[in-house]
Amino acid sequence: MIKKIFIALLVFYLLIALQTSFLSHFFNYLPNLTLILLCFINFFERQKDNFGIFSAFFGGLFLDIFFESPLKFFGYYVLISLFLAIFIKFFLKNYIKPYVRPL
Amino acid sequence: MRRSYFPKMSIVILLVIIFVIFNLTSFSKEIKNLFYLISQPIQKRLWAAGIKTSNLFEAIAEIKSLKKDNESLKLKEQELLNEISTLKDLEKENLALRQALGLGLNKEFELIFSQLIGRETADTLLITQGSKNGIEVGFPVITQQKVLAGRVSYVYENFSKVQLLTFKDISFDVKIFNKEIYGLVKGKGNFKLSLEFIPQKENVAVGDLMLTSSKGGVFPQNLLVGQILDAKSSDVELFQKIEVKPFLNISDLNYLFIIKNFKK
Repeated sequence: MIKKIFIALLVFYLLIALQTSFLSHFFNYLPNLTLILLCFINFFERQKDNFGIFSAFFGGLFLDIFFESPLKFFGYYVLISLFLAIFIKFFLKNYIKPYVRPL
Repeated sequence: MRRSYFPKMSIVILLVIIFVIFNLTSFSKEIKNLFYLISQPIQKRLWAAGIKTSNLFEAIAEIKSLKKDNESLKLKEQELLNEISTLKDLEKENLALRQALGLGLNKEFELIFSQLIGRETADTLLITQGSKNGIEVGFPVITQQKVLAGRVSYVYENFSKVQLLTFKDISFDVKIFNKEIYGLVKGKGNFKLSLEFIPQKENVAVGDLMLTSSKGGVFPQNLLVGQILDAKSSDVELFQKIEVKPFLNISDLNYLFIIKNFKK
């Protein structure tokens, strides 16, 4: 789990560095690659795992460090990411997975 | 179902309380400054790589128009060679006057040199100078060609954020070069500018150059701003609708100068 979190930290940092320093030369506006990755992680991980929640926390922390939040509140993106992760898990558990029949 | 989410929600509530306390101190500023310091070598390399890659793509995209540009440039070369001979005499006179009066960009302003390492949004940049170098919020920022870039909007210890002239909240007075026409340039976000309060009767043309004026006191005067891209007149409106193309070119930009001694 710790190894996974460390790799996630590295990937989030590289995504943000690429977005602000490399990709910004080609596009004036870019989608938030970190939030997209967080959605993927939480959508595709197993229900019992908590890696998605940890990655939401650290991904949101990097976003707070490198970007100015609309409310100028440090922690804004951490809270958004955590709510997003919890919402995806809740939605999958109660509205998608009960209706998915195993093959 | 509810029990499994209660611990997660209580952690989130605890985090909200911690962050509220955190935001009441200036600790977040120190953390950001530290991360920018650690990240600076990587971001510098990525920024430089971005410039090289975007130049390569631009060159590939412009191959078709190169032949046409080449022919028109040859014609222009002839005209300019004629002008050069007249200007050489003026240059000698100018040089002598400058030496006598001690004029120059570095004597006109007190400048601080900085490097670009990131672009947070379309209209916000991150530069490598901060409060320890004497940078303050509001300082104007220019390129080495005296093109207006924007102003310092937030200062950390070693870094600063620069709002470009196209940022939504920015507006400043300009004058049209060689015409006694003054107007207000407003940032529209997404690297776009508009020129406002130009009456219908004024004769503005596409390609007219704009410079900052000293009237509003937001920026020093005679800095290059942009060129008129499109001007629409209307009988039912008081002012013309004018779109401006900024001279600032982010894709090739690596260094900026901050004006330290500009007094509003």
